[in-house]
Amino acid sequence: MDVKHIRNFSIIAHIDHGKSTLADRMLQITGTVDSRQFKDQILDDMDLERERGITIKASAVMMKYDYNGETYMLNLIDTPGHVDFHYEVSRALAACEGAILVVDATQGVEAQTVANTYLAIESGAEILPVLNKIDLPSAQPDATAEEIEHILGMKKNYCFKISAKTGIGVKELLDAVCELLPPPADRSGEPVAALIFDSHFDEYRGVICYVRIFAGKLTVKQKIKLIGSGKIYQILELGKFGPKMTPVSELGTGEVGYVIANIKGLSDITIGDTITDAVQPAEKPIPGYKKPMQMVFADFYPGDDTDYSKLRKAFEKLSLNDSSFSFFPQNSPALGFGFRCGFLGLLHIDIIQERLERENDIDVVQTAPTVSYEIVTTDGAVKKIDSPSELPDVTQIKELREPFVTLEIITHTDSIGGIMKLAENRRCTLIKTDYISQTRVMLEYKAPLAEIVYDFYDQLKGISRGYATMDYKFTGFEESDLVKIDILVNKTAVDALTLIVHRSNSEARGRKIITKLRKAIPRHQFEIPLQVAIGGKIIARETIKSFRKDVTAKLYGGDVTRKMKLLKKQKEGKKRMKSIGSVQIPQKAFMSILDTSD
Amino acid sequence: MDIDNIIENIGLYVHIPFCRSKCRYCGFYSRPVEDYDVERLIAAVITELDNCNCIGSIQTVYIGGGSPSCLPEKSLLRLIEYIYNRWKNIEEFTIECNPGQVNIEVLRKARKLGVSRISIGAQSFDHAELEFLGRTHNVGDITNAVTQAKNAGFDNISIDLIFAIPGSTILSWRQNLMRAIKLGVPHISAYSLSYEDGTILKQQRDAGLFAPVDEETDRAMYELTEELLEQAGFEHYEISNFARPSFRCKHNMRYWQNKPYIGVGPAAASCTGNQRTKNIADIDKYIQAVETNGTTAQETINLSAADIASETAVLNLRTADGINIEDYRQRHNLDICNVFAGPIERHCSLGLIAREKNNIRLTKNALPIADSILCDFIID
Repeated sequence: MDVKHIRNFSIIAHIDHGKSTLADRMLQITGTVDSRQFKDQILDDMDLERERGITIKASAVMMKYDYNGETYMLNLIDTPGHVDFHYEVSRALAACEGAILVVDATQGVEAQTVANTYLAIESGAEILPVLNKIDLPSAQPDATAEEIEHILGMKKNYCFKISAKTGIGVKELLDAVCELLPPPADRSGEPVAALIFDSHFDEYRGVICYVRIFAGKLTVKQKIKLIGSGKIYQILELGKFGPKMTPVSELGTGEVGYVIANIKGLSDITIGDTITDAVQPAEKPIPGYKKPMQMVFADFYPGDDTDYSKLRKAFEKLSLNDSSFSFFPQNSPALGFGFRCGFLGLLHIDIIQERLERENDIDVVQTAPTVSYEIVTTDGAVKKIDSPSELPDVTQIKELREPFVTLEIITHTDSIGGIMKLAENRRCTLIKTDYISQTRVMLEYKAPLAEIVYDFYDQLKGISRGYATMDYKFTGFEESDLVKIDILVNKTAVDALTLIVHRSNSEARGRKIITKLRKAIPRHQFEIPLQVAIGGKIIARETIKSFRKDVTAKLYGGDVTRKMKLLKKQKEGKKRMKSIGSVQIPQKAFMSILDTSD
Repeated sequence: MDIDNIIENIGLYVHIPFCRSKCRYCGFYSRPVEDYDVERLIAAVITELDNCNCIGSIQTVYIGGGSPSCLPEKSLLRLIEYIYNRWKNIEEFTIECNPGQVNIEVLRKARKLGVSRISIGAQSFDHAELEFLGRTHNVGDITNAVTQAKNAGFDNISIDLIFAIPGSTILSWRQNLMRAIKLGVPHISAYSLSYEDGTILKQQRDAGLFAPVDEETDRAMYELTEELLEQAGFEHYEISNFARPSFRCKHNMRYWQNKPYIGVGPAAASCTGNQRTKNIADIDKYIQAVETNGTTAQETINLSAADIASETAVLNLRTADGINIEDYRQRHNLDICNVFAGPIERHCSLGLIAREKNNIRLTKNALPIADSILCDFIID
């Protein structure tokens, strides 16, 4: 198709502002999906996504649309809305010329509206602002349009008013996509250059690359080269998403589709790499999207040591479909063999853990999430540390640095006080207060990532009665007065519970941890002392008393089956725990150390 | 019970699902005796027994309930007589007896028909406690029942006691134990009060109507039981059971040795070969099943070799003898010390398991927390 009739765009929005519903409506209006087989939120592929109502992975779909007597090919590249998945948004935007910015007119501009808009602006996409849910009585389209103008700098008069649910204004929006969004640049005469903006792994066909052709064309059987890795492959199949994968013989400039080229594993490709012709390559790669940065780490150990290789296989499988997740073997003296895993954020951890359990039936013990640190050793070397237990002796450390982020919070003015207090407790520094409207405000903080990785978001939601939204962006490592806290369970330091914290609240934090541990570790057959040590000095102690009675008094013929079942359950319960010496520690104990709530 | 051709020696349990009144703590299947045609039920039980092809192989008999003693004399004796006439060489024949329902004439006749052991549900020597439990007998009935049983020619008498009843103290429990010892019976079962699902007692506890005895006191009472009864010459041969030498309950030992038994009557359980079955827990449906030659089993579970080996280990460990290493090897073709090497070592180091030349057993410290150890003796 002539590039003039191609439009590549994404929909960006804060979570729950109606992005997926709008996509569904577009698919229906363009007749891409038969209304009869319509399953709500077609683009959310995985069960998990549909259940959680969020889109995790970018996905693409091609729609045909008639406008002014001409047929257009509209490629919609879906994006996730959550704070952890910036990289997915930016990789989707890298493949587009335009973006539809959806704002819920009953909610107004939220933190991820702002963050996603900035990403779209950075990518150079033309943005169409859209006010959604105007059919609802609580909608305030004018006030929301004001916010869009005030915060995002877009003209309020240009906002489209739609209801993705009922379809009001969606057709006009599709017209605007054809009318207002720019077509791809016509570079059909140049050597082929295709951006890999996503991929997934198919057990039978190997890696399936999602591509956007920026120049030239790809044809079946063509020998291709990945500019970044230099690897050469032959194209076996090309296709478009309609929304099911539909093979075609070629993909031309401006088009979006998929490439199958006998690529064995996702580790063989890099998202953002450029596909070109092996014989007549393009000179330069397409400027890629922003590479995701793993900022949060947690250890995963098999509940049962014999499951180690099963766990490794499961991680391999997961990483096939999620290049932003990484894992490497870790041997903890306390927990045995496991893996240290890197994630984009906390939701990302949740998702990986759920998929691990759902798809693989493995019991895992997960340690509390921590961030990366940087240390400058006495000999001047700078080292990155992903686990508190890697921290060398204090005598070898000249400087300790922790990651800082810019944190944006949008909230109602009446919860500002509570949020400011929370932020202050978490060592955040206020940079800017910006009133979006008379009742809503955007707070910008400089915050240590470690302080917001665990339950900051939950606390924020609590304080603002669910209203506040947040987003954050890594800015850099900075020196900080940090100390290492060791937790001793039954006189043994548990490396998995070691924590790096700021000195100002180290003692209080240590005490809190063992108080929580005392509640989280079930009573044992013996008494268990819990201690906190900072720099080798014990600063606090708690004791878990032994249990005194756990026996079935009566067990005769008719009771055996039921009793065996109960004992089996009791055993399963133990299995979910991890043995440290003779102490069994449940998973929630590991999580409790970062839980700062009371 | 649907059993064909049982060759080995087995135990026989007969469940009498009737009571005069339901005790608040009781989780067994029983119904008010006056609501049913008792003779018809006994006839059904005998028919069920008739259908068992286990001639000449019953070693122990236990008639329990419910309360067998609430049956009309005729019905009870008919059942006893059937068993007496059918099987010879029964080594132990027990009948459970409610202290308020003892009739010396019935006991005498029963004794003549081969009944050798009486188990009396004494529960407590404290009037208030008996009331709390919902028992209808009084303290005097207990002494009377024991005397009558002795006079009827029984020397093998057991009484059941319950401790950790709300309101009880170490001192009141000590008095209970002293009274029990004074009765001069050779067997005592002492159970910590358990709150079974579906009982009124549990509902009331959960509703906060009373405070259960705390764990520490419960444990102290248990330890006191062992101390006093051992001083009085009893052997602590199972978690809740104490006997003078040679008076261990042979029938109950079968359960803990994981040896086969058949159960007849509504809700009775059987364990034969690799099957555990449970009869219909409904008197009318049970009678109907028997009378129409239908199956009386409500639930049948087929056990794997691993299940059976787990059961043997768990049940054996409840007894003072524990697991006999050689017997276990012969029966299950498994080396117990190997299969459970981890748990044995861990619990040994905590002083909870004693590893002797021929046996693996729980130590005294382990008994009050036995479940936390037994659950490690299950093969996946």
